[in-house]
Amino acid sequence: MTDSGVHAVEELSMRQSFAPDSDLAFLQDFCVPFLVGAQNQDGGWGFQRSGESRVEPTCWSLLALRNAPGGVATDTFASGRQYLLAAQLRDGSWPASREETRGSWVTSLACSVLSVEEQCTEAVSAGLQWLCRDFPRDSSPFRLFVRRFFSSDSYSAHDDSLRGWGWTPRTSSWVEPTAFALLALRDAASACMPRGASARQQLAVELLYDRMCPGGGWNCGNPMVYGVPGEPLVLSTSWALLALRDHPSHEKKSAGLAWLRNSYPQITSPGSLAVAKIALQAYGAGVADNASSLSMLLDQCNHHRTVHVIAWTCLALNPQRAWFPPCKGAA
Amino acid sequence: MNYRNQQLIPCFQRPPSRVVIRRASTYRQDLTALILESLRVYQLPVLGKSVLLKANLVGLDPLGVMNTHPAVIAATREAFLRLGASAVFVGDGPAMDRDTFAILESVKLKDFTGPVGGFFRDLNLDDVNRVPLPTRASRLKELYLPRTVLGVDFLVSVAKLKTHHWAGVTLSLKNMFGIVPGACYGWPKNVLHWAGIDNSILDINAAARPDFAIIDGIVGMEGNGPIQGSPKPAGVLILGDDPVAVDATACRVMGLRPEAVRYLAKAGTLLGNLQAARIEQVGEKIESVHTQFSVLEEFRHLAT
Repeated sequence: MTDSGVHAVEELSMRQSFAPDSDLAFLQDFCVPFLVGAQNQDGGWGFQRSGESRVEPTCWSLLALRNAPGGVATDTFASGRQYLLAAQLRDGSWPASREETRGSWVTSLACSVLSVEEQCTEAVSAGLQWLCRDFPRDSSPFRLFVRRFFSSDSYSAHDDSLRGWGWTPRTSSWVEPTAFALLALRDAASACMPRGASARQQLAVELLYDRMCPGGGWNCGNPMVYGVPGEPLVLSTSWALLALRDHPSHEKKSAGLAWLRNSYPQITSPGSLAVAKIALQAYGAGVADNASSLSMLLDQCNHHRTVHVIAWTCLALNPQRAWFPPCKGAA
Repeated sequence: MNYRNQQLIPCFQRPPSRVVIRRASTYRQDLTALILESLRVYQLPVLGKSVLLKANLVGLDPLGVMNTHPAVIAATREAFLRLGASAVFVGDGPAMDRDTFAILESVKLKDFTGPVGGFFRDLNLDDVNRVPLPTRASRLKELYLPRTVLGVDFLVSVAKLKTHHWAGVTLSLKNMFGIVPGACYGWPKNVLHWAGIDNSILDINAAARPDFAIIDGIVGMEGNGPIQGSPKPAGVLILGDDPVAVDATACRVMGLRPEAVRYLAKAGTLLGNLQAARIEQVGEKIESVHTQFSVLEEFRHLAT
């Protein structure tokens, strides 16, 4: 039985809290109109309502509005798609902000979002090729060779031969960009897959397991620093779990899931709560009680209302979402 | 004095700096009065101006030792408002966790300031402008920096007195790493590590030019800082309009040699005064508040 199956059975008795009427009303009456209203003239979204369009919030908004209850005008998607296509750099990557001439981790997000668009196959292929050409520099053969003679085990204990992805090209592997690249490769049609992609996926999965914190869960990618265990974080753990969901069962995956389930009741920010909910539901794991609901947290203070957080909230509250839909049995 | 639009001044042409050291044994005392009294020493040109307090919010911190204490942030904000600033924003771009609001919840800033929505800026997500780096100390030629940082009239680094496992110490200059936006460079801002931490600190500070520095040393951190070290009560606030001189003084309070901290030694050539002879102490003397901070083995050479 897969991890998701095990947890679906385990969690049948947990409180069924997914998408009660108030959540659906909040989704329909606040989140979707917020996102639609935040779209800029150029088709993109900024992190703030009136902010300059950027690739990342645009990707989350497009993902969140798909299958949104009540439907969203096709123009919204068409102009969003156009924004992304226009933002792509010649080498196939996407930059994190306007004017930047170098691609970054948001290339993975753009590929994931555009993978469902038939007319974007070329753009997605170019993006994935860029991703698979970009090797973090910390694990280059030269550095591994040098480290054999000058290594210091006192700082960190992870396996430097494993390669994932960095936030920016030619730097180091980190948990979140590695997870997003795995998701991009997962979401892509087989025709778009570059040569060597499966080997990169395998290495990246191993890297995620290697970088897990000792008690389960992930932080940015430092499980131990000078012999002290790193503290896991909700967002990093959730992204890693989503990236690993379709991979074979693994005891570390179960440990990560257990850490997230235990941490869920203590989450106090809407962004972390939304992404944790998506991850737990994607595994069919129950969502335990949390004194705060997403709508409560977003109501408490309007500075929480950044576009990407509202987009994550949309995804978390939408039982019909196409991206990581809730597994049957999810509470 | 506002250096933002001024040329970089070589150390031999720079006038001496003044650094204020105040004894503060607890976060429960009237810090606003203490900070206000200290700011008045400098006759800062903040009347009717916008101010950004760049706090050090590193991560979830239930024990209150990793981040600039919210009592210090709130008191500094109140002090600048009393000096007539038109707006006093607080901002940071945490390096390891992109959920800035989870960090804000954990430090309980709103308990000290009231609702933070009106004045807090998540610098990780701000709109950005391309900024050429005047010093070119690192391999970076330019950085994309938050418009909030570039747009305010007066920039204040409100740091924590801590050791750092890579840089030796993290004080007001290293605190400016947090203005580099995560949405562009990631969590952590790893491109700065690859460009060289010491040189990146120089580049960032030369580009952003903080006008003032305040270091929260009421309880600092020693050992494996900036996250996993041990609390170290030092009972001081250190303030001044020359961030290099403030950091140099902070090092001396910690029993560390600022000349041996690589990035401070470099900063002392262009950004401010490092030598004790070029720094006038106001308030407490260094000897009277000296508290020896322990450092990792790699930084044993910093100790006096």
